[in-house]
Amino acid sequence: MPKSSSQRTRKRISTASRADRHELYERAVQDPESDITFLTRTFERLRGRPPLSLREDFCGTASFCAAWVGSRRDRTAIGIDLDPDTLAWGKRRHLASAPEHVGRRVHLHQADVRDAVGAKSDITCAFNFSYFVFKSCEGMRHYFRAVRSRLVDDGMFFIDLYGGPDSIKEDVTDTDYDDFLYHWDQAFFNPLTHDTLCHIHFSFPDGSRLNRAFSYDWRLWTVPELREILLEVGFRKVHCFWERSDRNGEGTGVFYEPKGPVHAEDCWWTYIAAER
Amino acid sequence: MAQRADPHQLYQRAVQTPNADIWFIGATFRKLRGRAPVSLREDFCGTAFTATTWVQGHARRSAIGVDIDADTLAWGLEHNVLPAGPSVSRRIELVQGDVLEVETRKVDVVCALNFSYAVFKTRAMLRSYLKNARAALKRDGLVVLELFGGTESFVPLIEKQKRGRFTYVWEQKSFNPINHETVCQISFRFPDRSRLEPAFQYEWRLWTVPEIRELLAEAGFRASKVYWQKLDSRGEGTSDFYATEAAENQECFVAYVVGLP
Repeated sequence: MPKSSSQRTRKRISTASRADRHELYERAVQDPESDITFLTRTFERLRGRPPLSLREDFCGTASFCAAWVGSRRDRTAIGIDLDPDTLAWGKRRHLASAPEHVGRRVHLHQADVRDAVGAKSDITCAFNFSYFVFKSCEGMRHYFRAVRSRLVDDGMFFIDLYGGPDSIKEDVTDTDYDDFLYHWDQAFFNPLTHDTLCHIHFSFPDGSRLNRAFSYDWRLWTVPELREILLEVGFRKVHCFWERSDRNGEGTGVFYEPKGPVHAEDCWWTYIAAER
Repeated sequence: MAQRADPHQLYQRAVQTPNADIWFIGATFRKLRGRAPVSLREDFCGTAFTATTWVQGHARRSAIGVDIDADTLAWGLEHNVLPAGPSVSRRIELVQGDVLEVETRKVDVVCALNFSYAVFKTRAMLRSYLKNARAALKRDGLVVLELFGGTESFVPLIEKQKRGRFTYVWEQKSFNPINHETVCQISFRFPDRSRLEPAFQYEWRLWTVPEIRELLAEAGFRASKVYWQKLDSRGEGTSDFYATEAAENQECFVAYVVGLP
């Protein structure tokens, strides 16, 4: 934090030092509306009713919880995260200023997602690959079991994941958001363990930078591994989705359940859904 | 030329390097177990080229070759085992059977080379194979598995190599990221433009190193090691492999995973 009382404030303050990493993250990475549309459509198609209660594991700033309850008046959300500072930021940003009926329908817990705290829900989701922190089959099984225990009988579990040859290369990709650049830095990948170390950096037009605003120490899991572990812990059916491409091979944001083989893109991300 | 060509003969010349595999197995076994390995079981042995070369290497060595395909075993008997002479052939036992179920006497080393175990497409099947392999090992034995990977293994690919009088073509026809299933073909092309295409086709699941190591643990192996290929100064593979827990990813790599029961 810049020291406001100090003489130093007379010097030009860089954009980076004033920037809020959580805000930048939400703008660059999260897209709650399209996730909500996908979850709702898929749940309604497979379960024949609208999903109302959501548990967001690794919820961070709980922007997704807030968007979920904002999308329908009878929706509720539970957000679980280990980090109290991030939860506090989310409360201030998304819940304190929201209408009372919105704030009342979101419950945030500072807890380990494997402890299965809180009420059962229609949907549990773990997005932005956050569950990749579990690096062994045994660890992932433990987490998936906990998820299953907090779902209602016809509940569903949704995760997202990414892959493709580009995901196992050490490389940086830059995305321009007008007032800042978002840098996704795949700093390290070990083919012997599939451990990967990724960072998010932000840089600004005045040349300042927020280096390593976020860092992730993950195992890069593959679709068949996750599918088999979900089945091993008792999920009855697992659905793998794939993004439809347009004529130029660009992603359309529309996901479908492929019947046959899909084209192996250089870089892809997709959803897996599991029926309890 | 394609009509007169023998696909097994071409396969042995183009794909197999039994001496390099045997050198790796011998050196690794001596290092980990403090003695020389004597008995080998070659699973998915095909023409038993590796088993025969193994036995030829030392008068005390013996081998069991297991394969499900009777015709390929018969070819191997005629072209590899019997021509090696009775002092070699009497130390080789060929078994036509399923590696998931076969029961053999206990050996020092069970090996599955050339990615052959990738025919098992589920964790349950591969685990069951590894359990059966473990049951055939002496207490201080080793299982040796070969695998390939790298960024190029997750996309369709074609690779041609001139091998004297023919060209060897490795084609990864398809790769499905949703189940990691891949279809690969080996073809041979000849100077008169005739072709054996495809000579061999494989329908595999492309397994990753951590998956195989976790399945070894689930199948009861106490420990596993990965051996990575040393590169020369130009980045080309040497046939020297070393044990490591971390490596820089490559476009295409071949590695050994070794399980200790």
